[in-house]
Amino acid sequence: MANSVGLFRGPKAALAAAVQLKDAGFATPELLSPIPIHGVEEALGEKKSVIKRFTFFGAVTGGISGFLLAAVTSVMYLHPVGGRPIITIPPFLIITYELTIMFGILATVLGFFISSRLPAIRERVYVPEAAVDRFAVAVTCDSDESRQRAESILRDAGAEEVRQVTEEL
Amino acid sequence: MADRDALQFADVNRDVLRSLVETGNQYYVTLTIAVTITLACFFFPWFYQLYYGMGAAGINQPAVWGTYLASFIFWIGLSHSGTLLSCVLHLTNSAWRKAMYRSAEAMTLFSLMVAATMVMVHVGRPWFIHWAAPYPNQMEMWPNFRSPLLFDVMAIATYLTGSSIFIYMGTIPDFAAVRDRTTGWRHHMYVLLSLGWRGTDTQWHRLGWAYTFLAVLIIPLAVSVHSIVSWDFAMSIVPGLHQTIFAPYFVVGAIYSGTAGIVTVMFVLRKYMNFGQYITELHFDNLGKLLLVLSLIWTYINAIELFTGWYSGTSTEYEQLKYKLFGLYAPLYWEMILFCAVAPLLLISQRFRTSFVPMLLLSIVVNIGMYTERFLIIATTMSRQYLPNSWGVYIPSPVEISIMVGSLAMFVSLFMVFVKIFPSLSIYEVKETMEEPGADAAEGGAAEWRTQ
Repeated sequence: MANSVGLFRGPKAALAAAVQLKDAGFATPELLSPIPIHGVEEALGEKKSVIKRFTFFGAVTGGISGFLLAAVTSVMYLHPVGGRPIITIPPFLIITYELTIMFGILATVLGFFISSRLPAIRERVYVPEAAVDRFAVAVTCDSDESRQRAESILRDAGAEEVRQVTEEL
Repeated sequence: MADRDALQFADVNRDVLRSLVETGNQYYVTLTIAVTITLACFFFPWFYQLYYGMGAAGINQPAVWGTYLASFIFWIGLSHSGTLLSCVLHLTNSAWRKAMYRSAEAMTLFSLMVAATMVMVHVGRPWFIHWAAPYPNQMEMWPNFRSPLLFDVMAIATYLTGSSIFIYMGTIPDFAAVRDRTTGWRHHMYVLLSLGWRGTDTQWHRLGWAYTFLAVLIIPLAVSVHSIVSWDFAMSIVPGLHQTIFAPYFVVGAIYSGTAGIVTVMFVLRKYMNFGQYITELHFDNLGKLLLVLSLIWTYINAIELFTGWYSGTSTEYEQLKYKLFGLYAPLYWEMILFCAVAPLLLISQRFRTSFVPMLLLSIVVNIGMYTERFLIIATTMSRQYLPNSWGVYIPSPVEISIMVGSLAMFVSLFMVFVKIFPSLSIYEVKETMEEPGADAAEGGAAEWRTQ
């Protein structure tokens, strides 16, 4: 699929161009930038991420499995000491706590990889300048006519350079 | 600061890339020396000890713990500031964190690794170390989850996992930036490490959230890790160790020595990696203030520890206090007070905080004092327990001293390898602290159309 990419000097100009493209009826453009751009959500619509769910359920799973690990193993290998309880809550809470955090962290990472599509399996639009000091706006165009329209919008918005990048499937 | 204002985004990429690919002879010579010392002073004596038995170390009844554990606490402590400070400063949105946190986190990671190795040395039979892991086995035995030692295994495993993930995740965008400019094997390595990061708005959004969640999870974790290390001691009924203040005492001590460690690392990076434009007086000033506060808290807790010992009114605690303040190890105790409580008072002066060499010297002095503290916690208590017939003296053997020196060399070697693989300065976050490019361009800013 063909993509038109406009390179801008600053984040504000890039964001303005993205909004113009969106208003002109294109699919929501992608912004590639060396730093996170502020105000993207206000301009291009709110982003929802599933990461918080991963973190929450990961932590809950970790907590339950941590307690079960300590409790079940001490029941499986009974070693009564002076008639004291087999399942001792205070020390087991520490294991619970540590595993809550461990699973929470691992689930967060998993959630991050899944929701940001990493590791990348196929090639997507990329401009190396966007890792240095250029702010790129990439928009998908389905026909020559729409490509010309997109390019003129990008140029009018002040793009330094407009290039075409083809995504390989 | 004038230099810094003239910096462009591209300069940051260039400077960090230079630090990765341009390697002088000085680097190779230092690395060779560090690796040689690690092999000669750490691994050789360790193998000697494994071959001839624990008698090679000076630990014996009644002092069954020694410098191995002191080094363990020291390295765990040093690991504390990096990730913890980085997380706290991330959540509080401190801009000065951004130039220094990557190397601080690396310090965390490597000192944790060295600490874990110290445990291996200490246990005597490291080939049974897997017994600490809960796995089904033919003996149908499980670890005792009521033991602080098991808490420690869990806490350190979690902390190691958490901090390596935290440092890696924050570096993905930088790997991508470096990937585009390198060639050969380096390029292949960075292609793999960057996972195909493109820097899209969606990816930045996800990274921001995930990073914040990790920071929130890691802060209580870091506090718990050193509390648990303190319980290894405080849950025994040895006079001088059996104290409720131990958890906060250890946590504060850990952050204190860790912050001093960051100052040392920042000095070295600034001088030898030419990051003078990024790591400035501001960082040393702020770290100095932090050190000052921590030294005051540390001093307070030390005073309280003495007070509770005295106030308990038990003869064993009295004996312990007397031994600590005026006994065999008293010179070490007063050295520690001088280095960790008195010397840091110099930080009250701003001129001191913004001078690089004095800060370096102070940070080293503080860490010497903190090592002494950990040594004293073990040596003074183990050798004076209850009845006089169980008293003894602990003096480290040459093997123990050598391993202690070797562990430092191991840390240095690991860190030196790190600075050539990981961008030791966060490219994208340093850029965030700089002025936005194109802010003055007349293309109609985002603010304009939003109000339309």
